[in-house]
Amino acid sequence: MTTATTIITTMPDPTAPLALMQWLSPAFPTGAFAYSHGLEQAVAAGEVHDAESFAAWLEDVIELGAGWCDAVLLGCGLRGGDPDQLDAVARALAGSGERLRETVEQGTAFALAQAGLRGAEVPARALPVAVAEAARDLDLPAAQTVSLYLHAFASNLVSAAVRLVPLGQIAGQRVLGGQHERIAALAVRAEAAELADLASSAFRAEISAMQHETLDVRLFKT
Amino acid sequence: MLDATIQTKTAPKMQRSRGAARAGFDGARLVGLHQSGSAKAILPRVPGAPEVVFLNTSGGLTSGDRLSYETDLTGGARLVATTQAAERAYRADDGRAEVSVHHRVGAGCHLDWLPQETILFDRAKLSRDTVIELAPDASCLMLEAVVLGRIAMGERVRDLQFLDMRRIERVGRPVFIEPFALGSELLAKGARGAILGEARAFATLVLCAPGAEDAVDPVRAVLDEPGVEGAASGFDGKCVIRLLAEESWPMRRQILRLMETLRRGQQAPRVWQI
Repeated sequence: MTTATTIITTMPDPTAPLALMQWLSPAFPTGAFAYSHGLEQAVAAGEVHDAESFAAWLEDVIELGAGWCDAVLLGCGLRGGDPDQLDAVARALAGSGERLRETVEQGTAFALAQAGLRGAEVPARALPVAVAEAARDLDLPAAQTVSLYLHAFASNLVSAAVRLVPLGQIAGQRVLGGQHERIAALAVRAEAAELADLASSAFRAEISAMQHETLDVRLFKT
Repeated sequence: MLDATIQTKTAPKMQRSRGAARAGFDGARLVGLHQSGSAKAILPRVPGAPEVVFLNTSGGLTSGDRLSYETDLTGGARLVATTQAAERAYRADDGRAEVSVHHRVGAGCHLDWLPQETILFDRAKLSRDTVIELAPDASCLMLEAVVLGRIAMGERVRDLQFLDMRRIERVGRPVFIEPFALGSELLAKGARGAILGEARAFATLVLCAPGAEDAVDPVRAVLDEPGVEGAASGFDGKCVIRLLAEESWPMRRQILRLMETLRRGQQAPRVWQI
């Protein structure tokens, strides 16, 4: 005799990862290409001058600087944290005027694009908080969202490095590929992280971001 | 073969210390002074705004130590709070030392929180939480200066656990957060990357007050002390300054000059004067 069992599963929406990829792609109108996160200054000062020194700088910015802090904010936001509170924390974490501008301007543009694209009411907030609010609707695993977010951040800086250092396109992509393991591991940590896990050690990167404000010739806004 | 006599060399167990000191001011009047354990609050006679100098009589921080400093300002009080000496965090093999600093700056009040440097020795474990709570129209100047080992004596810090959460809030809303962290793995990376470079001394100053942005130009004009790399940004009701130096004395000189600029020519607290 056979017993009929009904297995109810909710099939993940196969288009959700595509939507996330669209929102975090360089084509999404957040203006990401205009922000170098202080890299322009680090290149001008000679701190970043080849693929190796760029990789060391990028690795610290992702793991020990704004990358990790954004990942924590995004993780908290995806788990239902209060966006108002997270936005205030994100703004207070911005260590200089250009850092604040970078995250708030991109977050505002992201929210506008969301409104135009799918009529979603996403208020203007710091970028990781705006992304968290929109991405809640996609119902994807948080680690997937965080890793794609960090990858987009890294990829944007690679594009900037290719222009600024300059680096060959392939050399830049090699640096980016070299960050994959780090990004995946950070995303898993961020999935369970609380605001108490916020940490920043990239002090030099903070100084570069501040020095950029008085850099004579600037291609980038930050 | 060599008979390995294993010398179990254990560090002398230092006595765990507890200390808490708190001072309250209503206008220019001292309204509360509490001291317990190894923490003291000294009130030197100074012209102008009152000054409180905190002191940890245990001589330094190690495993299990708990230290707390607090101030409460009301009635338009203006207070300068500092520390008698550099705080030393020593080797801590049995867990971390914890320091809590909490200032409540009431309506119309201003606090200068200008502690001297924190010196981190090899194998130190220190977790510090600094919170400054501001009323809507209150203001503050906050300084945190850190030195890795006694640089002049050639000490290198390799093993470290340092968590230093610096937070300023206005009516419950965060306005400045710097969750600084430094550990052994990061020190092992050396000068490469975006952490500290060759620097062994570093500091953050934050002026948080209406119109604080305007301080950025005069501040930039004095950010030229030899041996110090500094940068400043004025934004969102703040003027934030960060410093990096290979040695602690140039950084101290730079901080003194910044204090003069940020405090409109007022003399630095006596303990800071070189």
